[in-house]
Amino acid sequence: MKNKLSFIFIFALCIALSLTACGAKQASTTDSKNTQTEAGESDSRLDDLYQQENQLFADHADVWNKVFGMMNKSDADPNGNYADYLAGTVESNKNSFTDDELKTLNEDIETIRKIEEQIAELENKNTSSDDNKNDSSQDTSVFSDFSGEDFDGNKVDDSLFSGNAVTVVNFWFTGCKPCVAELSKLNELNDAIKSMGGEVVGINTETFDGNKTAIEEAASVLESQGVKYRNLSIDSSSAAGKYASEIMAFPTTILVDRNGNIVGEPMLGGIDNQDNYDALMKQIQSIIDADSTNK
Amino acid sequence: MDKEKKLLSRKLAKIRGWIQAAATLLTNIHIPNLFKGKIYQGNAKTVCVPGLNCYSCPAATGACPIGAFQAVVGSSKFKFSYYITGFFILLGVILGRFICGFLCPFGWFQDLLHKIPGKKLSTAKLKPLRYLKYVILIVFVILLPILVTNSIGMGDPFFCKYICPQGVLEGAIPLSIGNAAIRSALGKLFSFKCMILIAVIVLSILFYRPFCKWICPLGAIYSLFNKVSLLKITVDSSKCVGCGQCSKACKMDVDVCKTPDHPECIRCGACIKACPKDAICYRFMGKSCQKNDNR
Repeated sequence: MKNKLSFIFIFALCIALSLTACGAKQASTTDSKNTQTEAGESDSRLDDLYQQENQLFADHADVWNKVFGMMNKSDADPNGNYADYLAGTVESNKNSFTDDELKTLNEDIETIRKIEEQIAELENKNTSSDDNKNDSSQDTSVFSDFSGEDFDGNKVDDSLFSGNAVTVVNFWFTGCKPCVAELSKLNELNDAIKSMGGEVVGINTETFDGNKTAIEEAASVLESQGVKYRNLSIDSSSAAGKYASEIMAFPTTILVDRNGNIVGEPMLGGIDNQDNYDALMKQIQSIIDADSTNK
Repeated sequence: MDKEKKLLSRKLAKIRGWIQAAATLLTNIHIPNLFKGKIYQGNAKTVCVPGLNCYSCPAATGACPIGAFQAVVGSSKFKFSYYITGFFILLGVILGRFICGFLCPFGWFQDLLHKIPGKKLSTAKLKPLRYLKYVILIVFVILLPILVTNSIGMGDPFFCKYICPQGVLEGAIPLSIGNAAIRSALGKLFSFKCMILIAVIVLSILFYRPFCKWICPLGAIYSLFNKVSLLKITVDSSKCVGCGQCSKACKMDVDVCKTPDHPECIRCGACIKACPKDAICYRFMGKSCQKNDNR
């Protein structure tokens, strides 16, 4: 009896724990499923249209094979209208076909023209939805429309990132002891990567929206730690501000490339820990390498 | 006549488990956050909850009073936390350790663990360990955060950081399950605190509420008010026959007849339920909780 009870308890605990563990993941997989089915629908529609074209060619295979035999690869224009191309080929070899054959060919070409229009429409839609996907993947485009102010009141925009191969963005707040503990190390890092084409930038979450007293406090802490690199005040309503307020553990450090995209996973914990410093340095190096090969 | 006297006290003691469940739910109202790995950061977080409940629990409604106290005394801006001290005095004077018995989520957690069948051991011989919680309160909650500081006067929340098992149970474990970045940052400190949590769980199965008896600094604070709190337990000496059932029932090792207001009493009401003569009852502001009491 006692064993049974403890078994039930442990079993219940396991179920509860596994539920907690799977919760977040499930949400994300269903999300991707939804987008996949959307894309899948348009894909199957496209397949269907191509199938209709092939069916036309198969129905009048004799004539069409004749036409394909007359085609010249060098004439083919991949961006041109397929129906126009077919019509052109038929037109230039008019004499090889009988009147009946010409009639079927022209009818087929008109049908193909309509199908091609539908295909073009669908393909346009697909590419535009792909674009949308890129826009909504906020994780990497947090800094695409960046603006802020340094503690001396100088305005900063996207050019902050484009000037350097890699920008190390450190999120911190004044009352956070581990954040303050790594400030001097971050300053060292800034000096070290300056010549390599990198920069360290601090974003203090208490100084959002140009909060004067918070900026003064943060500035005095920075001064006490001998920090020379730039710290920025940003708008809490901006994409970067929202990203910062989603952060659950401080300090968090991220790496941003020349195009304002976040590279890799955010790093939690201070770089006054040597392991963290080495890991971050390695990532910085790889971004700089990638940047120089892209040039 | 005696039969008509329905004891409110007895009823209260009987539904204690449900009150504990409700209090735990109210203290952790943001259940969906558990699956997102995010912490609620709204205005309610500026208010403390009565029990020991980690601020960093994704579901937490308010702040942990012990955590808040350390955060304030450890910050460079303040020397002492008057707001939280006032909160302790207010709740202590009204309820005393009734909070431990009825409102604290970690107390309920230990109660549930103790229900797991198996060998149960008495803590009667371990009474000197009771004083350990006062040492922890003074050293880890008050002195270390105030005295051990960095160059700009910031201290660590030592109790939260190195001892509190509730922080691991409610904060670290759910956050690391729901948040990949936090998971990657777990280190030795997390393993150490997990061991504390496991030790507390094992001890809770063997003993009744070991954490409350020996370690909890919040219980230590509330225990100071047990003798003066408005809510008390009293023994009606005219009804008491001295059978000693109450002391036998008491899992906190209190001699109920002699010292009903002992600092260790968590007002759980086990003695009220055990008393064959209905001589023990809760009292609020000198008024008996017993209905139809002709005093």
